[in-house]
Amino acid sequence: MGARYLSIACAALLMAGPAVAQDRGRPKIKVVATFSILADIARNVGGDRIEVASLVGPNGDVHVFTPTPADAKAIAAAEIVVENGLGLEGWIERLVNASGARAAVVVASAGIKSRLADADHGRADPDPHAWQSVADAQIYVANIRDALVRADPAGKAFYQASAAAYLARLEALDQDAHNALGKIPADRRKVITTHNAFGYFGAAYGIAFLAPQGVSTESEPSARDVATIITLIKVEKISAIFLENVADPRLLDRIAKETGTKIGGRLYSDALTDPGGPASTYIDLIRHNVHQLAAALAD
Amino acid sequence: MTALVKFRNVTLGYERHPAVHHLDGAVEKGTLLAVVGPNGAGKSTLFKGLVGLLKPLAGQIERGVLRTRDIAYLPQIADIDRSFPINVYDIVAMGLWRNAGLFGGIGDKDREKIHDAVAAVGLTGFERRSIATLSGGQMQRVLFARLLLQDANLIVLDEPFTAIDAKTTDDLLAIVHRWHGEKRTVLAALHDLDLVRTNFPDVLLLAREPVAWGPSNTVLTAENLLKARQMCEAFDDQAAACVDAA
Amino acid sequence: MLIYKALIAPFFEFEFMRRALVGACALALGAGPVGVLLMLRRMSLMGDAMAHAILPGAAIGFLLAGFNLFALTVGGLAAGLVVALLAGFVARTTELKEDAALAAFFLVSLAIGVTIVSLRGSNIDLLHFLFGSVLALDNQTLVLIASIATLSLGVLSVIWRPLVLDCVDPGFLRSVSRSGAPVHTLFLALVVLNLVGAFHALGTLLAVGMMMLPAVASRFWVRDITPMILMAIGIGMLSGYAGLLLSFHTAVPAGPAIILVAGLVYAGSVIFGRVGGLARQLFPGRHLEA
Repeated sequence: MGARYLSIACAALLMAGPAVAQDRGRPKIKVVATFSILADIARNVGGDRIEVASLVGPNGDVHVFTPTPADAKAIAAAEIVVENGLGLEGWIERLVNASGARAAVVVASAGIKSRLADADHGRADPDPHAWQSVADAQIYVANIRDALVRADPAGKAFYQASAAAYLARLEALDQDAHNALGKIPADRRKVITTHNAFGYFGAAYGIAFLAPQGVSTESEPSARDVATIITLIKVEKISAIFLENVADPRLLDRIAKETGTKIGGRLYSDALTDPGGPASTYIDLIRHNVHQLAAALAD
Repeated sequence: MTALVKFRNVTLGYERHPAVHHLDGAVEKGTLLAVVGPNGAGKSTLFKGLVGLLKPLAGQIERGVLRTRDIAYLPQIADIDRSFPINVYDIVAMGLWRNAGLFGGIGDKDREKIHDAVAAVGLTGFERRSIATLSGGQMQRVLFARLLLQDANLIVLDEPFTAIDAKTTDDLLAIVHRWHGEKRTVLAALHDLDLVRTNFPDVLLLAREPVAWGPSNTVLTAENLLKARQMCEAFDDQAAACVDAA
Repeated sequence: MLIYKALIAPFFEFEFMRRALVGACALALGAGPVGVLLMLRRMSLMGDAMAHAILPGAAIGFLLAGFNLFALTVGGLAAGLVVALLAGFVARTTELKEDAALAAFFLVSLAIGVTIVSLRGSNIDLLHFLFGSVLALDNQTLVLIASIATLSLGVLSVIWRPLVLDCVDPGFLRSVSRSGAPVHTLFLALVVLNLVGAFHALGTLLAVGMMMLPAVASRFWVRDITPMILMAIGIGMLSGYAGLLLSFHTAVPAGPAIILVAGLVYAGSVIFGRVGGLARQLFPGRHLEA
């Protein structure tokens, strides 16, 4: 007797399942972003209507990424591919073609006023790190929202509301950044970093980011490298050093002592951290960087 | 006559095989003793035991009041690194080390002694020469000069004149006699029986077991020499444990 | 003026260059005599083995306290001494000679050390252990290196005679004194001490270079031991100075640059040295009258 009731209950549940699922509408839109920052932004715009995968994951380096067949498969299954553009992903075009090119490719940085990579050294390549400027990130949001609306017109209202909410948060973030960094005295607005990734950030908030030329920081430093860094710091009157690639803390210490500068914490440029880390979302990343800079440059 | 060293039923050897078997006797103070015997007779082994480099397998070697600093030993094949950048003067000076100690400097008196020793062995002018450039005979003279400086009561020489030219041998023998005259006790392992007969009053004829020990003319008889030669040279792997072992 | 700019100015302008130079010179002062004695005692490769042996100790120090000078030094010392004593023990009590015993131990040590560093640190950390950071010498490290040099010279001057004797005529030393073994152990301790000092500046792979290369090079110029030691110290200091300049004017990392220069001096000595150099062997000149 009990078994019969059980099987009826199961059958009922089974039939109810799809009915419940019906509420969510069609299956999720598959979106593949090239790296973690774009993926996070996309997630914030698309919410549960989309499913986002990222080719270069947290802590990964999108500059040296080489795609694998698994990545081609992911792209083949996607409806939207979000790339940064500005020359960041040299490999994306080939990858999309190779995988059948079914997806719509969104260039997140479309419409942004781009900067040159080494503006003071006259190189012609664009600087791809536009997301470092919150104002430009807002344009990213708009581009992604529009692409999602094109692919999924039924969700238009949802995407617009979602994007608007996120844009508001970004606006607040921008405001906070201006407040925090605005307090820094004019003569302390220069820092040295290893990676030339903060041009947009610097332009937006009035901080000069300088990187030593020709210094190889992954391997053992030579005396010339150290001298170059120290000379740059002294000549440009830099106030804080964010040289996370000079991995020997003692050498960093020595440089700081000899130049009278402060050692800053780690700045994140190209990737989010793992979920437990200090920069696991785009907003956290910017907040973290602002905080580090404000702390190091305060008097 | 007082005994400087006493051998009480001493057996010395390697890996339980005896090279010196049941030696009893005493070395009197002031003796000039030659130790002779065929190859493998145990002469070097005996000397190593005497100076303390080898522990007896059985029996005792009683050195009485002799301390390490009172014995000067010249091994058969000196373990000297001839390529080491050191000169004659410094090697000879080592003889003084025991007295000068770790901290002691070499004073003027010591310097004089070193020069005298070098002169005594006929090597004046060789002081700054690197030992790598010396001939066998010259090296031996240097070692004798060092022995001179050691100022020891007991001097033990293991085949000091092997492969040395006649002139050097004569000169060094003169030093041996000088020591004897100074009432020091000298033991020397030697092969040249004529040399022994003419220079050494006492002889120990050793062929693993002592064959004879006493004045040279009584020991070095044809009979004794034959007995000694008949001794087996190699260790016997089949040998049983010695019954006499104390 | 150009000479000044190239050879002197870098040290005037930059404090880190001055510190590196002082550190390198202090190292040369301590390691030079020890290196000469190692070479003369036919223990050159053992010096290399000891340098690797200190790695696991330093690595454990790193694991516990990061780049802390005290932890690294004590760890390195302990590991070095343990390996030295173990190898000596095995050599004395078994058939294995000291060189083979040491070879076995140091290889294991190196592997353990690399593993430990990789556990906590990154590849860069490992590089620092292997290659040091002569450009990052802070005050404590400089004081440490200088103290080691002073202590080294002091101890050496005291145990000088038995040490030399132990090389030239160990049989004689054994027959007049029992200090052979303790002196040998003390000497090994000095080797380890100097290697630990060099390790901070040059890393475990290059530390022994400062010890051996100047010593071996000096062998080709002088015949007597005291000039040999002075020459080794001089070559060591010169290598430090020239190596730092090399690293300053080109992009060669500093530690390896110093050892490179020392290596060049060695090569030059082999070819042109007055005592047994190749050139002398090929073109000996007329023999003397007497």
